[in-house]
Amino acid sequence: MSGDASRSDGADRPIVVDGLTKEFGSVVANDDVSFAVNEGEVFGFLGPNGAGKSTTIRLLLGLLKPTSGTARVLGADIRDEAALTGVKRRIGYLPAHLGFADAATGEAVLDYHGAMKGEERREELLELFTPPIERPIRDYSTGNRRMLGLVQAFMHDPDLVIMDEPTAGLDPLKQEAFNEFVRAERDRGTTVFFSSHVLSEVRRVCDRVGILRGGSLVELENVDALLHRGGKHVRVHASDAAIAAITDLDGVVDPERFAEGAQFIYAGDVNALLRELAAHDVRDVEVGEPPIEDVFAHYYGSEGTAGGANATDAAWNGSSGATDAGGEAADRATDAGGEAADDDGAATDDGPGATNV
Amino acid sequence: MFETARYEGRRRLRGAAILTAGVAAYAGFIVWYFTVLEGVDYEDVFEDLPPAMLEAFGIQNLSTIEGFLGAQLFSFVWLLGLGLYFAYVAGGVVARDVETERMDLLLSFPVTRSRLLVEKFAALLVPMVAVNAFGGLIIYLLVLAIGERIAVDHLFLTHLLSVPFLLVCAGVGLAFSVAVDRAAIAERAAVGTVFVLYLVESVVGGAEGYDWIQYLSPTQYYEPTPILIDGSFEPIDSVILLVAFAGLLILSQALFERRDI
Repeated sequence: MSGDASRSDGADRPIVVDGLTKEFGSVVANDDVSFAVNEGEVFGFLGPNGAGKSTTIRLLLGLLKPTSGTARVLGADIRDEAALTGVKRRIGYLPAHLGFADAATGEAVLDYHGAMKGEERREELLELFTPPIERPIRDYSTGNRRMLGLVQAFMHDPDLVIMDEPTAGLDPLKQEAFNEFVRAERDRGTTVFFSSHVLSEVRRVCDRVGILRGGSLVELENVDALLHRGGKHVRVHASDAAIAAITDLDGVVDPERFAEGAQFIYAGDVNALLRELAAHDVRDVEVGEPPIEDVFAHYYGSEGTAGGANATDAAWNGSSGATDAGGEAADRATDAGGEAADDDGAATDDGPGATNV
Repeated sequence: MFETARYEGRRRLRGAAILTAGVAAYAGFIVWYFTVLEGVDYEDVFEDLPPAMLEAFGIQNLSTIEGFLGAQLFSFVWLLGLGLYFAYVAGGVVARDVETERMDLLLSFPVTRSRLLVEKFAALLVPMVAVNAFGGLIIYLLVLAIGERIAVDHLFLTHLLSVPFLLVCAGVGLAFSVAVDRAAIAERAAVGTVFVLYLVESVVGGAEGYDWIQYLSPTQYYEPTPILIDGSFEPIDSVILLVAFAGLLILSQALFERRDI
């Protein structure tokens, strides 16, 4: 696949989005979105809930008709149904919500999907993801549904896989298996495009990232750049004196005091934070992923425009040089706390995120 | 080829069996009722009824098994019951999948929307054929069981000619199904429309000056009682129904092609 020279030139990349706009009445769900996904890369489509990620994905699959602009998927214009249908055999799709027929067993669903598009990798995938295929789907947990969805998305060995929030509902172990699987698929030459509102997930598996906010693409960058911009959400319970010293650290943004301690976003060197914490009598501490909406608010302003970014950018990046070295370590140190914080993120996203679209 | 029609058709088997059993049970009751009423002079009973009512309920030659079945079973179950049933079921064909987001998965298949729509609709032929084939056979056996006779060719024609009528009712449901996002709304709108058309034909149709309105209703073009009694029917009626069905199918395809999912 990667040796196919005819498709490696710029114009024929697996996904080329060009000025894609979708309006639902007066709501602009996608506003002049343009980007391209390279062959054989994992592209993360990051944004808070309600940013318009699903709209872009549904446009790419021809489920929605663009208001203006267009996109090419495996060379097919999304406005041309015949062309798009022609390449769908080479596309795998995992929607955000898996509306399988409830009364059918997982096996019956896979038989049908297999008959429609192929199933050469079905058995192999069922060893990796293990939905109880002999049971009717109405008995499935969210995680089992998701795994069945992953099997159907990959079982016909597609060249391009498009996934909408693929790890929502997977337990942490399955999430890790999924990340590993996606990297292995990329190494076989499959192009993967997926959306997520979880920063840490995108960081772990993606080669490049597009950030969507309020329907507009605000940033397109490789994952290293994103990594440096990280930041941790820290919540400390300690005495007032200790809190004062800790929140005085370089890289502390937006400290918020409460009765027993404080919470803040920390964008500095993680070792400095740990040393400072160790120097005080800390009753409790949580370090995790910041809610994605907070991160975006800091980078791109609260209105979702790239223009508003500069003012807060400086404060946020005050010690970005120092974070370079600590980035990886910080990631590992907080992996355990990451899950709890991700849940946090999802909860807060419903607030400000939902108002965007 | 036709994987979707096969898969969706299999999902309709259970519903088809229940429908056929229900219709057979009702037919059993009607046939038994005929034996109870034997010897009653119907013509006297109904002679005072207004002609519009006789027309509406397909009442004709009630003292014969053909006339009795035509009025009590076919005019009621086939014309109204099954008409509403297929309108209702077809109303869910697309709208339910859109509502549950199953349509996202179906449209990720390498198949065009119009083809998917036709195959999903074709699965409705499973209950439609089952209720006519098995229902017809059961009615025939029931009639024999009470020692009456019924012309096989007339019975066959009555069932066969009901198919274009039922297709139109299902076509109404399909059009609503692609036009709206929620299954419950499509189903109710389809049932409501077919029922209003039935009323229009049977009630308003007789009124002077408004008799043109009855030609809008599919029930105008399928009259089971005369077919059952003497095998008489107008071929043009079936042609009109098939043309109307084709129109509804093309309309549904056009709407489905253009809509956002």
